[in-house]
Amino acid sequence: MLTLNHFLILGAVLFCIGLYGAIAKRSAIAVLMGIEIMLNAVNITLVAFSAFNQVKVSAPSVPYGNYSSYLTGQIFAIFIITVAAAEAAVALAMIISIYRKRNTVDVGEINMMKF
Amino acid sequence: MLYTYSGLILFAPLLAFVIIIFGTRMGDLLSRPRVASSPAHGDSHGGADAHGSNSHAVDSHDAHGDDHGEHAQDDDDDPKVPSLSGWAKASAYVGIVIMALACIYSWVLLFSSLSDPSSLPTQGVDVFSYTWASFGSVNYTIAFHLDRLAITMLTVVTTVSLLVQIYSRGYMSNSAGYARFYSYLSLFAFSMLVIVFAQNFLVIFIGWELVGLSSYLLIGFWINKRAKPDEQRPSPASAQLQAFVTNRVGDVGFIIGIMILFTTFGTFDFSTLFRLAPTMDKTLLTIAMICIFCGAIGKSAQLPLHVWLPSAMEGPTPVSALIHAATMVAAGVYMVARTFPLFAAADPAALGVVAWVGGITAFFAATVALVQIDFKRVLAFSTISQLGYMFVGLGVADNAGAGMFHLFTHAFFKALLFLGAGSVIDALHHATHKETQDMRLMGGLASRMPITAITWLIATLAISGFPFLSGFYSKDNIIGMTLEKGDIALYVITLLTAGLTAFYMLRAYIQAFGGKDGKVLGLWGGTYRGAGKPHESPLTMTIPLMILALFAIFAGYWTGFFGYVTPGAPPLNIGTMLSSVDTWVGVVVAFIGLGWAWFLYTRVDAAKLHAAVENNGFLRAIHRFLFNRWYIDDLYNWIITYIVLGGIAFLAQLFDTYVIDGIVNGVAGLVNIFGRDLRRVETGKVQSYMIGFFGGVALLAVLVFVLIFTRG
Repeated sequence: MLTLNHFLILGAVLFCIGLYGAIAKRSAIAVLMGIEIMLNAVNITLVAFSAFNQVKVSAPSVPYGNYSSYLTGQIFAIFIITVAAAEAAVALAMIISIYRKRNTVDVGEINMMKF
Repeated sequence: MLYTYSGLILFAPLLAFVIIIFGTRMGDLLSRPRVASSPAHGDSHGGADAHGSNSHAVDSHDAHGDDHGEHAQDDDDDPKVPSLSGWAKASAYVGIVIMALACIYSWVLLFSSLSDPSSLPTQGVDVFSYTWASFGSVNYTIAFHLDRLAITMLTVVTTVSLLVQIYSRGYMSNSAGYARFYSYLSLFAFSMLVIVFAQNFLVIFIGWELVGLSSYLLIGFWINKRAKPDEQRPSPASAQLQAFVTNRVGDVGFIIGIMILFTTFGTFDFSTLFRLAPTMDKTLLTIAMICIFCGAIGKSAQLPLHVWLPSAMEGPTPVSALIHAATMVAAGVYMVARTFPLFAAADPAALGVVAWVGGITAFFAATVALVQIDFKRVLAFSTISQLGYMFVGLGVADNAGAGMFHLFTHAFFKALLFLGAGSVIDALHHATHKETQDMRLMGGLASRMPITAITWLIATLAISGFPFLSGFYSKDNIIGMTLEKGDIALYVITLLTAGLTAFYMLRAYIQAFGGKDGKVLGLWGGTYRGAGKPHESPLTMTIPLMILALFAIFAGYWTGFFGYVTPGAPPLNIGTMLSSVDTWVGVVVAFIGLGWAWFLYTRVDAAKLHAAVENNGFLRAIHRFLFNRWYIDDLYNWIITYIVLGGIAFLAQLFDTYVIDGIVNGVAGLVNIFGRDLRRVETGKVQSYMIGFFGGVALLAVLVFVLIFTRG
C-alpha cells in the first residue's frame, strides 16, 4: 500500500539529489538541472498532498465515492511548472551572457563579488 | 557701609588686570614698529612674550634688533626696548593708580575700625556672596568676608603691592615685557585678596591656586633666561615649574584635609565649621588639620617643601619682594590664622606639629643662609626661616595674634630687604652689564648707594631683633612665648636661630655694603670687588625703600595688634617685655650674632677666613653640608630620578605600553582577525552561498522539529 509518506520521502530524496547537483556541480547547466530537479521534487510533494488529503463532499460531480481531494496542491504545482520554465529560460540567458563575457560556464570562476 | 563696599578692594586689581591684558598691553604690542628680524641673533628671543601674545614674533624680533647699543653684552636674556611706549607706561599707571586706591581704602578701613570699634562687628561683615552651584542640600558659594584679621592682612598686601609696583617702574624700566609684568602683578594682587577675603575653604583654595599661578607666571617672567649651574642657579623655566609642582604636592594634603571636614559636615563655610568643629571626632579633626597644614607647608615653603623658594629667586626682584617675602608665602600663615579655631578645637598635637615644623624649618634655613654667596639666596632662606618663626608663633599661642604680628612686621622689613637687594642688583647690572648677584663681587657699596645702604641696615637690624625696631617686638614675643609654654627645646631652637639670623644678615650687609676698610668700623663703604662704577638707584626705586624703612622701625609699636586681631586678647605689654629676663637673653644672643659677624667680616682678612675653613676638615665638611642646603635638594633629585622617574614612572610606562596599549591593540587585532576570517565567507561563488542557505534551512528544520514535537 502506498501512503503519503512514500511520496514525501521520494520528494525529499529527489530534493536532496537536486540540491547536491546544484551545490556540487561545476557546470552552470548542471546547476540548472539540479534546480529543476529540486523544483520537480517539490511538485511531487505538493501533488501527493493533494492526492492523499481528501474531503467528504456530497455532490454528484465527484467520481469516487463522495470523496474529493484538495485541488490546491495541483494548482500550485502548475504554477511551479510555469515559473520553473520561465526561470530556466532566464537562467539560460544569463549563462549565455556570462559565457560571452568570460568564456566559461564554470560557476567556480564567477566570483567577482568576493572579498 | 564702608565695610560692605570693601569688595571693591578685591575686584579692583582684577579690573586692572583685565584692562592691562586686553587694553593697554595690546596697545603696547601693536604699537611696536614691525621690522625684519636680524639674522645674526637668530631666534633665541622668539618666545619672550609668548604668554597670551599673538604678535610676539613681531615684538621680540624688533626689540632685540634695537638693542645693539649698550645692552648688547647683557647676559640676562631679557628683551629690552630702548624706550617704553605710551601704552606700556599706561599699563603701569593703571596698575599703580588702582592699587593706590585699594591701599588708601584699606588704611581707611583700618583706622575706621580702630577709632570706632563698634562699627565693625567682631565676626565681620559679608562682602560678597554668589551661589555658584547647589546640589540638594549642599551649596557651593563664593563668599567673601571682611573682619579685623582680614583688615590687617589687607593693609599689608595692598601697601607692599603698591610700593612694589612703584618700584617696578624703575626696575623694569626698559624691559619689553613691562606691560605684561604689571598685568601679572595685578593678577597676583587679586589672587592674594581672594585668599584674604575668603569665607570658606572653596574660595580660599581657588585663591590658593590663583596665587600659585601668578607666582608661576612671575617667576618665569624671563622665560628665555638660561640656567647658571656653576652658581647653582636654575633657569626661570625650571624654577617656575618647581614652584608650582612643589606647591601642588602640599595641596594634596590641603585637599584631603578640606575633604575630611566637608564629608563630616557637608559645608566649606568657616563660621559653620568653627561652630561645629568641637562636635567632631577629635582624632579625625586633628588629622584633617594636619593635612590642611600640609598645604601651608607647601605654600609657605617650610621643610620639606621649601625647595622652590630659593629657585624662585630667578624671578625679577620686585616679584621676590612681593610674592616670596611679604605676601604669597604668608598666605600659609594667614590660612592657619584664619582657621585657628579649628586648630584650637583639635588635639594639641595639631598645633604642636605646626610649631615644630616651623621651629625646625627656622633653624634649618638659618644654618643654610650662613654660607650662601648669592645675595638673594640669603634672603630666600631668611624668609623660610622667618616663616618658620610665624608658625612657631601660631603653634604656641592660644590665638593667632603672635604669628600674625610677626607676619605684619616681617612683610615690611623683608620687602625692604628684597627691594634693597634689587636696587643693588640693578645698579651693578648697569655698571657691569652682567647680571650678578654674587656677594663676592660686591663690597663697599654703602658709600656709592647710601640710601639703599641705610635702609638695608635698618632692615637688617630689624630682622635681627635689634632692640626697639619692629622685629624685636614680634620675634622676641614669639621666643618669649615658647618659654612661657614650657617648651624648652623649641625655646632653645628659636633662640639659637635668632643668633644665626643676626649673624647671616649682618654678614650679607657687610659683604655687600661694607668691608674691612670701610668707615664706621667697616660698616660703611670700603673696597668694591666688582667691575664698573655702581651708583644709587633712581627715586622711583629709593622712595619705596624709605617708606618701608619707616614701617620697619615703627610697625612694632602697634601693641594693640593682638587685641585687634583677636578681640579680648591682651595687647603687647612693652613694659613687661622689657623687664623680663628672656627678652634680654634674646637681645644678648642677637648681639653675639651681630658681633661675631662684624668681627669675622670686617676684622679678619677674607682670604685667611677662606683658608681657615678649607684647611680644617671639620669646618670644611660643615661648610659643604650647609652650602649644599643639607643635601635635601640632591635628595629630592635622587628621589625623582630613581624612584619617581626610574621606578614608578618606569613601571607606569611598562603598564601603559604592554597592558593598556596591549588591550587597545589587542582589541584592534581581534577585530582584525575576525574580519580576516569572516571575510572568507564572502567567496563570491553562488554555490557556497547556497550551502549556507540550505544549511541554515536544515538547522531551522531540526529546531522546529525539536521544538514542536517535543512540546506535544
